Amino acid sequence: MDKNIYDKQIRPGVIAVRALIYTVTAAVVTLVVAIIVYLIIKGLPYINWELLSTAPSRLNETYGIAPMIINTLYIVLITLVVSIPLGIGTAIYLAEYSKPGKIISAFRFAIEILAGIPSIVYGLFGLAFFVNTLRIGSGSGSMLSGALTCALIVLPTMIRTTEEALLQVNPTYREAAFSLGASKLHIIRTILLPCALPGIVVAVILSIGRIVSESAALLYTAGVDYTMPTNFAKHIVEPGAGLTVQLYLYATEGGAPDWVPYAMAAILMILVFVINLTANIIAGLFKKKVSVK
Amino acid sequence: MGIITTRNLNLYYGDKQAINNVSMEIEKNEITALIGPSGCGKSTFLRVLNRMNDIIPNCKTTGEVIFDNINIYSSKIDPMLIRKKIGMVFQKPNPFPLSIYDNIAYAPKYHGKKRAELDEIVESSLKAAALWDEVKDRLKKSAMSLSGGQQQRLCIARTIALNPEVILMDEATSALDPISTYKIEDLLATLKKTYTVVIVTHNMQQASRIADKTAFFLLGDLIEYDTTENIFTNPKNKQTLDYVSGHFG
Amino acid sequence: MKKQKVHIYNNIFKAIVFFFALITFLSVILIGIFMIVNGGPSIVKVGLKEFLLGPVWNSANEPPQYGILAFILSSFYSTFFTVLIAVPISILVALAIGQLMPKGLGSVLRSIISLLAGIPSVIYGFMGLIFVVPFVQRIFNLSSGLTMLSSVIVLIIMTLPTIISVSETSINAVNKGYLEAAYALGVRKEYALFTIIIPAAKSGIMTAVLLGVGRAIGETMAVIMVAGNIPQMPSMLKPVRFLTTAIVTEMSYATEQTRGVLIGIGLVLFVFVLIVNSVFRFFIKKAGKING
Repeated sequence: MDKNIYDKQIRPGVIAVRALIYTVTAAVVTLVVAIIVYLIIKGLPYINWELLSTAPSRLNETYGIAPMIINTLYIVLITLVVSIPLGIGTAIYLAEYSKPGKIISAFRFAIEILAGIPSIVYGLFGLAFFVNTLRIGSGSGSMLSGALTCALIVLPTMIRTTEEALLQVNPTYREAAFSLGASKLHIIRTILLPCALPGIVVAVILSIGRIVSESAALLYTAGVDYTMPTNFAKHIVEPGAGLTVQLYLYATEGGAPDWVPYAMAAILMILVFVINLTANIIAGLFKKKVSVK
Repeated sequence: MGIITTRNLNLYYGDKQAINNVSMEIEKNEITALIGPSGCGKSTFLRVLNRMNDIIPNCKTTGEVIFDNINIYSSKIDPMLIRKKIGMVFQKPNPFPLSIYDNIAYAPKYHGKKRAELDEIVESSLKAAALWDEVKDRLKKSAMSLSGGQQQRLCIARTIALNPEVILMDEATSALDPISTYKIEDLLATLKKTYTVVIVTHNMQQASRIADKTAFFLLGDLIEYDTTENIFTNPKNKQTLDYVSGHFG
Repeated sequence: MKKQKVHIYNNIFKAIVFFFALITFLSVILIGIFMIVNGGPSIVKVGLKEFLLGPVWNSANEPPQYGILAFILSSFYSTFFTVLIAVPISILVALAIGQLMPKGLGSVLRSIISLLAGIPSVIYGFMGLIFVVPFVQRIFNLSSGLTMLSSVIVLIIMTLPTIISVSETSINAVNKGYLEAAYALGVRKEYALFTIIIPAAKSGIMTAVLLGVGRAIGETMAVIMVAGNIPQMPSMLKPVRFLTTAIVTEMSYATEQTRGVLIGIGLVLFVFVLIVNSVFRFFIKKAGKING
């Protein structure tokens, strides 16, 4: 006997909701992916060795981006040199040495706030402090000023991620080492840091991505120079436009034929994708390693 | 013919077979216990009875499960409607992060009950679950403020609110303290007058205390199914004897 | 002997990490101080009321007028509309990816979205310049597509990946027992998702919204290419200037006096972000407590 009270019914409400959700998702994903793909495809044909290895020259009507690549590289490296020890050191202090209290809470709150400050405000600070007060380099900015500013920007993430990675280390390791009489430094050096390393590595890679993408903060702290650096040591205190800043300048002020910003955009996106992909792969690899342990 | 009858029921996770050709009849207004060592398939079998296994990807079921004169695995049937009649209480109490009142009223409201009826449903379900006196003054408080045992009775009330015919309980007392466990066992003795109860338990003493019939599962097979007294004092199968006398599991 | 050496190394290390933490601490304070010292006096000179509530900005005038009300309102409206549209869309997408799609497809989309989150703002701005501006110009029959609407569109697209990932993480973190209980009661997944899971993920979703708001208020490069940069009261189809773009537009050729005022705008931004963060975190904490 067929009891049709249990039979499947077509419910328009359910179908509508599902359709809505899937349509919106498809629209969003398709839209953004299409735009990205279009930009890359439009710029890709113009990427060649000449573009990547020469400097722009109005005279010869060439628009190489080598100086921008070098500038970006300088800023990334110097930022990492400053922010990695500062970030990891602060995280270690917070996770292993600090005692809970009003000052530490204020400190943590401050780090949270730092994470939310718009880059332009960092840029203004960098301009006022590094460029104008400390007078690093000329008045129009320098690699060092730009890097120090970027270090402040990536610091909160570096600290937060490292601290989390340290806190996630299995507490039984700590207890075991302690009970065996190991000193704190020894525990940190031989157990905690190695265990936290994957998290730290991912944080560093993501910070690199952040620095490469940065523009507003660098506009006034690193300057807009587009010439090829001659003395590589001196360049630390010389101004220079990175890839993002130069793209902005070309797009708004002109000075290069249309294909140049397209090519730069394509390069930037590929760079950022590679960086992100690397971070994801490493994070994935280490997750597997940890779970096998 | 029992209230739920399975015929030649097989279940596969991908290529692995987890339930082998089980045919049994669950009798109305009785407490039936499913016992067996870990991994024997008793929980999986329980979930077959209200089609909860549908959610698991790669899970295939063959055979029939007859309830109310229909095969609930027929493709014409909406499993959601089956679950109104065959309810389930889980091992870890999982009340919704809502008020006590809203927890009970949630499903009836979804299934179309009007506002006016909800008060009555909430009260009668909580009374049937022996929880009313303890919570009647704080129905609007969050369900999370209750103790573990009370939360589980809330989950039972939530299931009762839909007026099911069968209540399935998947190790429903194993996460609770002994006093709460006894309270719920007492409750089940009353509930079986109105509903049919099927419990999965790894606690043999519990089965011998409260169940009318007991089924012993091992590695996906139904080894023996008989009155509780027979299973525990005079089993026909050597494996059953070994299990109930504690030789393994 | 060895014990002493170990002891010394430990103390040196402790001192070093403390030193680094101290530098970080001081940097934070330094930023605050510098913003106030460099921006404060200019604001005071203009007069706080005149500055914050003055509707006219004309730095080239004699005497220059420094009212930033237009910037404040423009930033506020664009952020408001961005969040208004981006959050519901993000929640739907987060549900789709984390709860409704087959795991494999969801995984792929999740990776795509996280890649999108890392794209530099200038590229979004560039893309806005190429696609959004002409589009807006055509659809609304304007003389120029450089409008607040264009910036809002760009901001929405920019903030979607972030809000989606954070929302998705919080939604997926909700106790799966709730969904199981709902199924056992014959309740459909979508209904359970909207009536139980999303409310339970409230604090995580609010964090996602906070991040979106932060990004929208603070965005400079992405919007400066599409907003038009005219200092006037905000209107969707007119060019506008935000707090952020106001700084960048005039900084390079500003007089000493104007420079100070621009840094004052930076200070205002800083304070706004502080206030928004604190308010949100208060509500996030509250929401977190309810759901244990």
